[in-house]
Amino acid sequence: MRVGELPKRMLVLVARAWQLGPSLLMPPTCRYQPSCSQYAIEAVEKHGAIKGGWLAIKRIMRCHPWGGHGPDPVP
Amino acid sequence: MENQRNIILAVLMTALVLFGWDAAVGYFYPQSKTPTQVVESGGAKNAAGPLKPTREGGLTNAADVQLEQQDLKTALASGGRVPIAADGVSGSINLRGAIVDDLVLNGHRETVNKDSGPVRLYSPAGTPAQQFAQFGWVGQGFATPNATTVWSAPEGAKLTPQSPLTLTWQNGSGQTFAITFTIDEDYLITATQRVMNRGAAPVTVQPFGLINRTDRTASLDTWNVHSGPIGAFDGSVSFGTDYSDVVESGVVNSAERTNWIGFTDVYWMSTLAPVDAAASGTFRSLGNSLFRSDLVYDEAVVQPGQQLALTTKLFAGAKENAVLERYEAEGITNFGLAIDWGWFRWFEKPIFWLLLSLFELVGNFGVAIILLTVIVRGIMFPVAQRQFASMAAMRAIQPKMKALQERYKDDKQTQQQKIMELYKQEKVNPLAGCLPVFLQIPVFFALYKVLILAIEMRHQPFVLWIKDLSAPDPLMILNLFGLLPFDPPSFLGIGILAVLLGITMYLQFKLNPAQVDPAQQQIFMLMPWFMMFVMAPFAAGLLLYWITSNILTIGQQKFLYSRHPQLKAQAEKEAADKQRGAERDKPAKRGA
Repeated sequence: MRVGELPKRMLVLVARAWQLGPSLLMPPTCRYQPSCSQYAIEAVEKHGAIKGGWLAIKRIMRCHPWGGHGPDPVP
Repeated sequence: MENQRNIILAVLMTALVLFGWDAAVGYFYPQSKTPTQVVESGGAKNAAGPLKPTREGGLTNAADVQLEQQDLKTALASGGRVPIAADGVSGSINLRGAIVDDLVLNGHRETVNKDSGPVRLYSPAGTPAQQFAQFGWVGQGFATPNATTVWSAPEGAKLTPQSPLTLTWQNGSGQTFAITFTIDEDYLITATQRVMNRGAAPVTVQPFGLINRTDRTASLDTWNVHSGPIGAFDGSVSFGTDYSDVVESGVVNSAERTNWIGFTDVYWMSTLAPVDAAASGTFRSLGNSLFRSDLVYDEAVVQPGQQLALTTKLFAGAKENAVLERYEAEGITNFGLAIDWGWFRWFEKPIFWLLLSLFELVGNFGVAIILLTVIVRGIMFPVAQRQFASMAAMRAIQPKMKALQERYKDDKQTQQQKIMELYKQEKVNPLAGCLPVFLQIPVFFALYKVLILAIEMRHQPFVLWIKDLSAPDPLMILNLFGLLPFDPPSFLGIGILAVLLGITMYLQFKLNPAQVDPAQQQIFMLMPWFMMFVMAPFAAGLLLYWITSNILTIGQQKFLYSRHPQLKAQAEKEAADKQRGAERDKPAKRGA
């Protein structure tokens, strides 16, 4: 693994840990398709740690009862 | 098949977490089993046992505790001491060496018991709990005082906030040394070291202050709360050096300018800070579990007839936030940051402030935590309300949903997608999204951190049997609340609070809409009982927060259901359908 990929891998790891940990234990809350964590993984894979991470943060910020919903794939 | 795999997976994970958790909690969240009470006669058999530090710090094995009591008696009875009497601390200064080596904290008891003694911070050299502060000089070519020098004090002297104390010593060749101690109402002793040269030739001196302590009394150093060497260098507080690092390298120097330096426990701290002078700080391992932090001033030449005076602030006391912040305001750089808040300080401090304000209002920390919960839930209420409103809207499109589910029942992916599209068309969404959850996690974490970190929460009672909200629930159900003479293993050590947590969480989960997948629903309903074990070893205050939060959520659900009666009817009908469905499935599964 290249060192440059480290931040990317770390972010994906965090998202995976969320999916397999707390997320499994809580009632489903997803307003969007794909889920925020899946979105984060795809965004980071596609756009890299910085831009992908930013996209994921923006996604989480709109994932509340007054936000949008429905299909919302990674751009 | 799918369901069975899920259940097996869930059981395995439960087992893993249940047993792995025990080890993890021991590491992350040390129980504050206070070591100080049990003193067996001839307890020497424990002496060889490994030292397991506790959250509060202090000697951990019975033999040491006993030895400490004996040694203290002899050391303090031998005379040649000037008493210290202030609001924050009491003790004495040893005239042999001018060493501050006897200090207890008046405002903090050793254990929850009302009649337990005050916490002892300083203990003379050679005692098992050794810790002391000393001020001195390094000289070249002339006699300077050392640890065995006997200093003179004025007749009947006593160090109090009103009366400073000056100790003097003459070296016989023209130099007079003097140390003037002053003390404030809290935990600060200011020492001014003065050397007067009445000799014929200039002398070169280097004043220093030191703190010497053993790590046998150190509190537990964990991943999120540091215990050990501490200091601020060029304004930045360093939590990174451990006792083991100092042992490894022998001497730890800091290249930067030292703002303050010393040793900290979770609740107690002892540091030296130079006043208006540059000094360098060093940590040193002296072997035999002893450590020293030195604050050394620059070398200076004192001409005949001249004098050199330098002032050092010695903090020796409890890490009370308000006190530390006041000392910071009075000139000790970033002293408030000596409390290891960590990365989330920006979030923890407001929660801490809110809790303290509520505590001042009501006078009981348990009630303050309950009020905090009410405030947090109050802020989240619009979210729940909004969610209920969209659930009501959901009900209107229920028939279309059913049709979609029926049509795509073999293709979960498409089914999910079609349902999402339907939501979009009808502009409804029953789910709150993940942000509300994320917003509550920091509150929980901040409370967790405040409860282990803040001395203001130490030994704070709630009601009945809960005498210390910062410690785990002391009542263990398995040994019939202490009637049976054994300590259950910690993963089974559930108390009443943990059971209440399980029950309230179960009731709350029951009010939630049922899960689509029955296997998932089963796992889901097991969660509360699982969390009961997971949360049991945590601080009682944290459980109190969670229980209150559950009860408030239940109340909120009931209230919102009463506002939307059609939802309640629907929820009941769904539950009944599920029940019937599950019963129908049973024989089928057995056959498969």
